[in-house]
Amino acid sequence: MEVKVEGVSDFANESYARICQDTFRDAGLRSNIDHVYMHCNPKEFIFIIVAKIGRVSRPVTVWDITLQEGKKLRITTERYAPKLLALLWDKYGEKVEQVGRLELLLKLEDNEIKELLDLVLYDPKDDLVTRILYALDTIIPEGARVRSPMHSTNSVTIIASENPIGEGQKNKAEEIVSKYV
Amino acid sequence: MYKIMMFEGGVYKFYELKELVGDLGGFILQESVMQTETMMHLAFPEEDEREIRNKIKELGGKYKELPLAGTEIIIVVPSLGKHHAVDPMCDIAEFLRRSGAITNMMGLARGVGRRIAQMTTQEKQMIEEFDAAVFIFGTFEECIEEKVKLCKSIDIPYIIVGGPSDMKLEHYVGGVGRKTARMRSKDEIDLLYNVASELERALAEKRLDIEEDPIAASPLFIKDMIEKTIPPKMGEELPNIIQLDGLRVKIEEEDIEKIKEIEIGNKKLSEICEIKKSVYTGYLLEIKSEAVTGALF
Repeated sequence: MEVKVEGVSDFANESYARICQDTFRDAGLRSNIDHVYMHCNPKEFIFIIVAKIGRVSRPVTVWDITLQEGKKLRITTERYAPKLLALLWDKYGEKVEQVGRLELLLKLEDNEIKELLDLVLYDPKDDLVTRILYALDTIIPEGARVRSPMHSTNSVTIIASENPIGEGQKNKAEEIVSKYV
Repeated sequence: MYKIMMFEGGVYKFYELKELVGDLGGFILQESVMQTETMMHLAFPEEDEREIRNKIKELGGKYKELPLAGTEIIIVVPSLGKHHAVDPMCDIAEFLRRSGAITNMMGLARGVGRRIAQMTTQEKQMIEEFDAAVFIFGTFEECIEEKVKLCKSIDIPYIIVGGPSDMKLEHYVGGVGRKTARMRSKDEIDLLYNVASELERALAEKRLDIEEDPIAASPLFIKDMIEKTIPPKMGEELPNIIQLDGLRVKIEEEDIEKIKEIEIGNKKLSEICEIKKSVYTGYLLEIKSEAVTGALF
């Protein structure tokens, strides 16, 4: 992930580039973002930040996080366990029984089990924009509470200020988007 | 005058050190024994430092100066949100504690932004209860310039910590700015040393004032007398905090009359102290100067 911050002193540029790197890393988004451009203007208190969405990991299926042992299913990635149980109980009801902490007993036919293994458990695309917006909110200075988001298929842009955002600033953001995305 | 220092060492014969401090008319301010390791904050008359040092050497312990000991400091940030907490405010607070200060943290209700940044009267009153304040204001020069105006009306020594390294402000430490991780590299630790020494410089003026016009009794002595009358409850941490010219006492409202009656020399505590309820927590005891109260002994 490439980060470019402009508009302020070298120290502030470096400092905010570091903040961008760390925030996207903490949000688990570094591999999903191609590059980030931030324009800071503390004199007018306007901040424009653009994140270009890159490659998104493929959806997680039941097969990815479990091991099949006959009619038993062993969960290998525990963090998906609640989601998996909710999905299976919703779809198969009492036919799926939790016999151990990470062990499920399936009272299903073989073809049904095959179908079950292909079920999509979580698609990172679903909440990608929400997670990006959360990260951008963490990066932008807290005082810049007036926000104007611009969303396209491959980027997320936010204009933030403590004053009302005018057309001039929106046009500038569009220029930045067309240049960097 | 008392000198406050820290002792670190084993438990072997450390009670002898405690006895010596007591015999010299000193106090044990904090004590923590962790299995075989002991840490104590000692206060003793300045002229007896050699004797204490010799005893510590005999016990094989370490001896550390605490330049900010006996002070209560408040660390003020524009808000307690994820943008300002926990770094760098906690790093700075922890470093000041290592230098002996008692620290408190405060996030302003409306301190964020540049034009919209404010400080309420209540917040100002709260800050002024402490010996000194450390204001931590982000990365941008323009914002710091604006926020400094808020601090101008503060009546206690204060320092400003910010990002740009070359701002022409009094008691300013630059190079910190906004952080997303702990300040643990060598350069960052040097910056924390700068913050502690700048704070020491800011406090030097107040210390000089107190030296020129001495207070009636040492806060350490008053603290000891209060704890003899109202012993601290089990598990209560720092119920009475010493400041440069007073104390913060965390007691119940019904105990306040008991405290007023405590005899310090030939006067009562209420005669040598101004006692008022703190806006922040507990009661504040502001010790009057000796010139006002007259000699106590």
